[in-house]
Order: sequence, then C-alpha cells, then structure tokens
Amino acid sequence: MKIRVKLYATLRAHAPKNTDIGEEFIIDVDDNSISGVLKNLGIEEELAKIVMVNGTRVVNYGASLEENDLVVVFPPVGGG
Amino acid sequence: MAKILRINMNDLSYKWEEVPSKWETLAGRAFTSTIVSEEVDPKCHPLREKNKIVISPGLLAGTKAPSSGRLSVGAKSPLTEGIKEANAGGLTATKLGRLGIRGIVIEGMPKGNDWYSIIISKDKCEIKVTNEYAGLGLYDLTTKIWKDYPNKPGIIGCGIAGQRLSKAAGVFGNNIENTDPGRYAGRGGLGAVFGSKRIVTIITDDSEGKAPEPKDSDKFTESITKLREALRAHPVTGKLKDDKGKPFGGLANYGTNILQNIINEAGGLPTRGFKSGRFEGAAKISGEAVHEIVDKTREKFGDSAEGRYGHACHPACVMRCSNVVPYEDTGKHHVGPLEYETAWALGTNLGIDKLQDVAELNRLCNDLGLDTIETGNTIAMFMEAGVIDFGDGQAAIELLKKAYDEKSIEGRLVCSGTKSAGEALGVTRIPVVKGQALPAYDPRPIRGIGVTYATSTMGADHTSGYTIAAEILGVKGKVTDPRALDKAELSRAFQSTTAYIDSSGYCLFIAFCILDNDDGFAGMKGSVDAFLGKDIDVTEYGLAVLKKEREFNAKAGFTNADDRLPEFFYTEPLPPHNVTFDVTDEELDMVYKDL
Repeated sequence: MKIRVKLYATLRAHAPKNTDIGEEFIIDVDDNSISGVLKNLGIEEELAKIVMVNGTRVVNYGASLEENDLVVVFPPVGGG
Repeated sequence: MAKILRINMNDLSYKWEEVPSKWETLAGRAFTSTIVSEEVDPKCHPLREKNKIVISPGLLAGTKAPSSGRLSVGAKSPLTEGIKEANAGGLTATKLGRLGIRGIVIEGMPKGNDWYSIIISKDKCEIKVTNEYAGLGLYDLTTKIWKDYPNKPGIIGCGIAGQRLSKAAGVFGNNIENTDPGRYAGRGGLGAVFGSKRIVTIITDDSEGKAPEPKDSDKFTESITKLREALRAHPVTGKLKDDKGKPFGGLANYGTNILQNIINEAGGLPTRGFKSGRFEGAAKISGEAVHEIVDKTREKFGDSAEGRYGHACHPACVMRCSNVVPYEDTGKHHVGPLEYETAWALGTNLGIDKLQDVAELNRLCNDLGLDTIETGNTIAMFMEAGVIDFGDGQAAIELLKKAYDEKSIEGRLVCSGTKSAGEALGVTRIPVVKGQALPAYDPRPIRGIGVTYATSTMGADHTSGYTIAAEILGVKGKVTDPRALDKAELSRAFQSTTAYIDSSGYCLFIAFCILDNDDGFAGMKGSVDAFLGKDIDVTEYGLAVLKKEREFNAKAGFTNADDRLPEFFYTEPLPPHNVTFDVTDEELDMVYKDL
C-alpha cells in the first residue's frame, strides 16, 4: 500500500536524501498500521511523539491507514 | 540581603530599600505585579506621571541554576490599559541578581526635554543625562554603550518607538555578545512607559557582584543538578547532538520556530490576517530553514560565518533556543534571534515566505524598539485595508522604514498597535483581546489557547497559559487527555504554573521537560524552596499572582465582558478544519470564577 509521508525536525534524517523541508514522499508498506509505517522509516516509536493522519493527530499507532493517506511525523517539539 | 532600588524621576533622586518581609518570597513577575497592584493607581494614564515601571530579575537569576536568568518588566500597559508583565532573557537579569537587587521601581516623570540613562553597579546608582543616546537605532546605540562602558554591561530600555510613546514599543535588551538588541520584553507597549519617563536605557555593570547565596546550599545544588540533567536528557530541551553526533535537542537545533511546521500541519497557523490555518510557505521560514541556512553559510564562509543555532539567550541557559540568521550572501549577522512568534507575525501572517525579508522586518523592529508580534499584526491591518498587498515583503519593509521619519503619519501608525491602526484604516477583523494583538496560534482549531487569550490578565498572550503544550505537543503535565479536558480548567492550570515559573527566573520552556518528568519538576521546586528556605506551593504561589493581577484589572474597569475574543472568531470558520471558536461565555468565566 502506498502512503504519503512528511518528516520534520530531527526526523528529517529518515527521509530520502534531498527531500525539501515540508516535502512529502511516498513509501510502499505491507503493514498498513502507523507502527508499520514508522518501522518502514526506521523511526523508533518513542521518538515519533506526534503523528498526524490527514491533518488530525492520532495516538493509537495500531490504527490502520488507507491507500494515499498523508502521515506527518514529528519528534517531541516545544517552543513558542 | 536583597535590596530594592527606588528611583524618582520627578526630582532625579534614588534610594535603596530593604525588601520588606511580606515581599520576601517575591521576584520576577510576582514582584512586578505585586508592586504595580499595590502602588499604581489602576485608573491612571499609563504614559503620565502616576504610572511606575517595575523591573525584577527572577528569583534565581545570577545563580548557577540552569536557564534561570529571565527578567520581568511590569507597569500599567498603554496598550491594554491593564496590568502588564513582559519577560525576557539577555544579560540584565543575571547582573541584577549578582548585584543583590530584587527589583527597581521607577516613579514620576521629569520636567524638560532631556533624555536619561540609569547606570547601576555594586551599591551605586547614577541618573545621568544622555541626550546622545536618544533617537538612535538600537544596533548603533548598544554598540556605542559597550564602548562607553567597557565592562560589558547589560542594557535594557526603549528605542525610537518608545521615545515617541508608540503603543507597539517593547523594552529591548542586548544579547550576551552585544551583537543584537533583540532580547525583548516585548509586549504591552512597555517601551512607551520608558519613553514617558524619558529613560532611554538602564545600564547594569555587575563586575563587583557575586552569585546570590541560597538559604540551603546543599539542597540547592542537588536540585539544580537534577533539573539540569532532566533538561539535557529531554528531546525538546536537550543538548544539540546526541552521543552519536546526531541532532538531538529540538530547541537547540531549530529554536522556537520548530513550531512553524507543526502548527501548520495541525491547521492552526494563522495565515494572512487569520484567514486560513495553513500557509503554503511555512517550511521556507521555519526553524528547519534557519538551521539549513546557518549550515550552508558556515560551509561557504568558514570561521567568518556568523549564523548560529544552539545560541544561549542568557548566560546560564542550557536549552539554547536562540539563533542568529545570517545574510545569505555574506554569512554575516542579519538578526538574532528569529523566534517562532516573529517568523509568524512578520512572515506567515503577512503571507511573506522569503526568509531574508522576514529577517529584515525583524531587524527593523529590533532597531526601532518594536514588539514584533504587535507590529506584524499592525502591518497585517495595512494589508487587510488594501494599503499594501499580502505577500509583498518589500512593501512591508518600506512601510516599516517610514517609522524612522518622525514626520511620517504612516510611520507613526505602523508603530501604534494593531487596534489603533486597524480602526484608523477601517478594518473590522482586528485580532486583539484587551487591546493586545493575538500571537501565532489560531484559537478556532486550538481552543484552549483561545481561552487563555480571552481570559489572561495580559490581553491576548500565549505565554501566560501555554495550553499548546497539552493540546498540540502532547506535553501533559498533570492533565489527562487534553482533548477531553475542560478548556477552562486546562487554561487555568497553565496560567497558574506559568505565573510561578515567571517569578522563579526559570525560562518558561523548562515546562516542556518538567511537566513530563518528575525529577525535573522536583528539581525546579526544590531549587526555589532551597533558595528561599521555605516550602512554596507552586499552584498557590501562581494563583496569588493571578489574583493580584485580576484585582488590578477590575479596578482599572475590566469586567468579564472584556474576557472575550473578537467577533470574527465566533462567526468565520477557519480552513482547513472549518471550525469557529465555540467555547461559551460561561466556560470562559469559569477560569477565574472563584478567584
């Protein structure tokens, strides 16, 4: 299943080389849960503090994704 | 023994006072808000003789406690007409702490047209005529002062905007290296209160000072060690790189502007005058973009490159969220820091996605002595009214430059605050609460922060109850699932904890760590308790500060009807989530119901 992904901040290191800030890329996963996507990207779950699916935060990483969903992953961030 | 320096600008005299026992535990915001509420007539004109400026380093400023060098500046605000505390880093808090000064109270106003500076060193104070310091841009002024005073003093004061009593004027502070006047206690027009008292600068030299002594040094050392370790190990507040050399701390690497992308993805990033929650150009002006340009210019210009991330805003800071944005073509210092709020106010909110234009607007604000949040919102009023176009960075820069010309009405108007400018220009969508412009989170999709904006004693202010931590960033503290939590309860919990932290001298950003880490929380509380030799309840201390501030505002004429957002937030749905602000008046009134 094809999933669209955006990675920010320290997690950008897990994106394909030369991906621009805020640019989405596509991955092909067998396990269509959020956990499966994170595993595919090589991101430890505890560092994937905020996951948004199509703009809404999801806290259950077992949740299933659908073809072409946009998954945005942030590490723990703070500021203001 | 800590002292209070009381300065009377009517007759240019000063005296040193002991801190009375009833004020013994007060510092920072607790100190400024207590004195303003006890000594300033709530009905007074904020820019005339009866207002007072109160300056106080946080309790632990000048000690070795990590990230503890924050400064509070308080007065009746000319922008909100209510009580105000504005908070900043820089050098002055640390130096005042090392001189044993708990606070400075400035009263009255002088006759005549002279401009003054107040020069403070160990047990000494001088009120000096410094007409040559007035009318200068603040980059030139701070450079000149370090030549005149070679002990690398802390400097705070007002720029051209404050000297003209403009309501968007902030209180500037020099950075550690004195390369930028960008350490602002920005909000509420307090720069204009300095101007009204004809004070350009306060110059603090701590060369004969020493770190203040805690009552219980062993417990103090143990507590600050615990806090420091918790901060360093946390992925938000932690060190620049991990043991493998990979980027680790979010704030150290990307600064506060790490929020630009996450608030954008969450659909809560106010864009083009609060018309959308997403900005297509957000990534280009984000903290990640600043990180990249710093790395790029370092590679190109080597040792002469001046761009920085992981830069400390005050001497004891371990989180280091400050930065310096370089000019792309020379690698030299353009502006520092570029904060999230500023990148939003002068970028996103104006539809400007060129980092160099945003940096230039920030530099102009720093040079003129303007609060970036208020000024960005004010420029948005010019755009909303069609005077210039959204997205036109060069037009915004030209508009702001008019502020250097004292005869220019546009120049005066762009410094006059969002409400004044919006009304003068016939705008009906004016994003202010109690006269103060909203910061970088739209209250429609992120309602807890809307409750803070509406009910804060400070006018629309994110820092006074930063519910974003729970609502977006997943930092929960004692709250359970923030989405299920009552927004009023959430806002009140954050507002009271914030009032405590704002008094301790600690930077508010320690909250990202300590609210999720018991050792860190114990380290914070333990260090304050050990310093005072008392057991201080965090929530009670914070609520006592809020209570004084509410009482002042009530006497100034504020009622629950002032604790509301502007009408358009209730009626215009914000894309992409297409929601309005739907917290009821009754819920808003719950925040302070029994206080």
